[in-house]
Amino acid sequence: MYLMADILINVILAFLAGSLLLGLHRKIMARIQLRPGPPIIQYLLHSLKFFFKESSFPKTASMPFYIGIVVILAGIWVTGVIVGPVTQGSLMIIFGIYAIHKIVEHNSGSSSGSPYGKVSCVRAVFSAAGELPLFACIAILFLITGSMNISDIIAYQAVHGPLIYTAPLAAIMFFTLILTKSPYSPFAITKGKDIISGFETEHYGFLRGFIMLSESVAWYILLWLFLTIFFGPIGIIGYVIGMIVITAITAFINATTPMLNPNHSVMAQFTITLVCLVGSIVMLLIL
Amino acid sequence: MEILYLIYVLVFIIGSIAGLLLSYKKHMEPFIISEIDVVYLVLAIIGWFLFLNFPLLSFIPSFIAISIGLFLIGLVIGARPGYGRKETVIGAIISISIYLVFHFLI
Repeated sequence: MYLMADILINVILAFLAGSLLLGLHRKIMARIQLRPGPPIIQYLLHSLKFFFKESSFPKTASMPFYIGIVVILAGIWVTGVIVGPVTQGSLMIIFGIYAIHKIVEHNSGSSSGSPYGKVSCVRAVFSAAGELPLFACIAILFLITGSMNISDIIAYQAVHGPLIYTAPLAAIMFFTLILTKSPYSPFAITKGKDIISGFETEHYGFLRGFIMLSESVAWYILLWLFLTIFFGPIGIIGYVIGMIVITAITAFINATTPMLNPNHSVMAQFTITLVCLVGSIVMLLIL
Repeated sequence: MEILYLIYVLVFIIGSIAGLLLSYKKHMEPFIISEIDVVYLVLAIIGWFLFLNFPLLSFIPSFIAISIGLFLIGLVIGARPGYGRKETVIGAIISISIYLVFHFLI
């Protein structure tokens, strides 16, 4: 009974806080580009607006996939909330969620029948390289803490201090993942403006509303995970400040960096992962 | 505890939406007026004061003071783009100064 209430409260909180953070991201990007930018709540209002818009379906869409994939997208990030803030479970499930997210991008793009979606679908396969930093980061954390459970990692940090000092290169890998997921990211090849909105192009109405809801929750969960597994038990003020700071940093990077082309994006992620992984192992052996 | 945080976020969002609607009703002109709005300034100062210095007001439960503070902050920060920025900054600076004075000097 209490668990269900806890899940519900955390999902709503993740959606609202994630939307505000993405709104802030957009605002900061606009200010860097010398535009006033929309209000911070614009992303949230956009998300809610889509639930009341007329939903239309392309004739070329493969309907079971076209609708089902959105449900799966919302489902995996609700699972992310359950594994993250609610139960503080295993990081391997988070890795699984991120892997399914890539499959969702792939199928969402291919199910609409749109050429833009199809290009995005192919790019989603390339951009699976985005999972490499996450997997390498989890492996390094396991080598240091001896556990993949978020609760154990928090307990470890309570005793030994924040992991950002012990494994700064693993933190860079996780930050790369966050950067990949941020809007207008140099690595966001699946949603490049050269392919309109990529896999989201042909999803309208309530389906787009669910996609935006899921993206807000995903952004909140990724930031929560980063702060939790690298800074330890930091309290609500720490989370609020940390999330705002990381959102601001990604907004600065995204506003000043052009989007990479797919092969450069993949190679950049691969290179960052390789350098940070080797560096982390060397640091572990030396220290 | 999360229910409190949810209330705070909701109150801020409701304040921002109210601020956006009120601001568009008040300022229908196509350009931005750069003068400081006294009403917004007072609201911002009260909001930031309640949000940061709620322990000073022991006669109000802390969650009510924070909620009212966040509502007022949202009301000013959520105004039409271009409005409410200076007021927010002034309100925040005054409240942070009061916070620092009470925590480190007194």
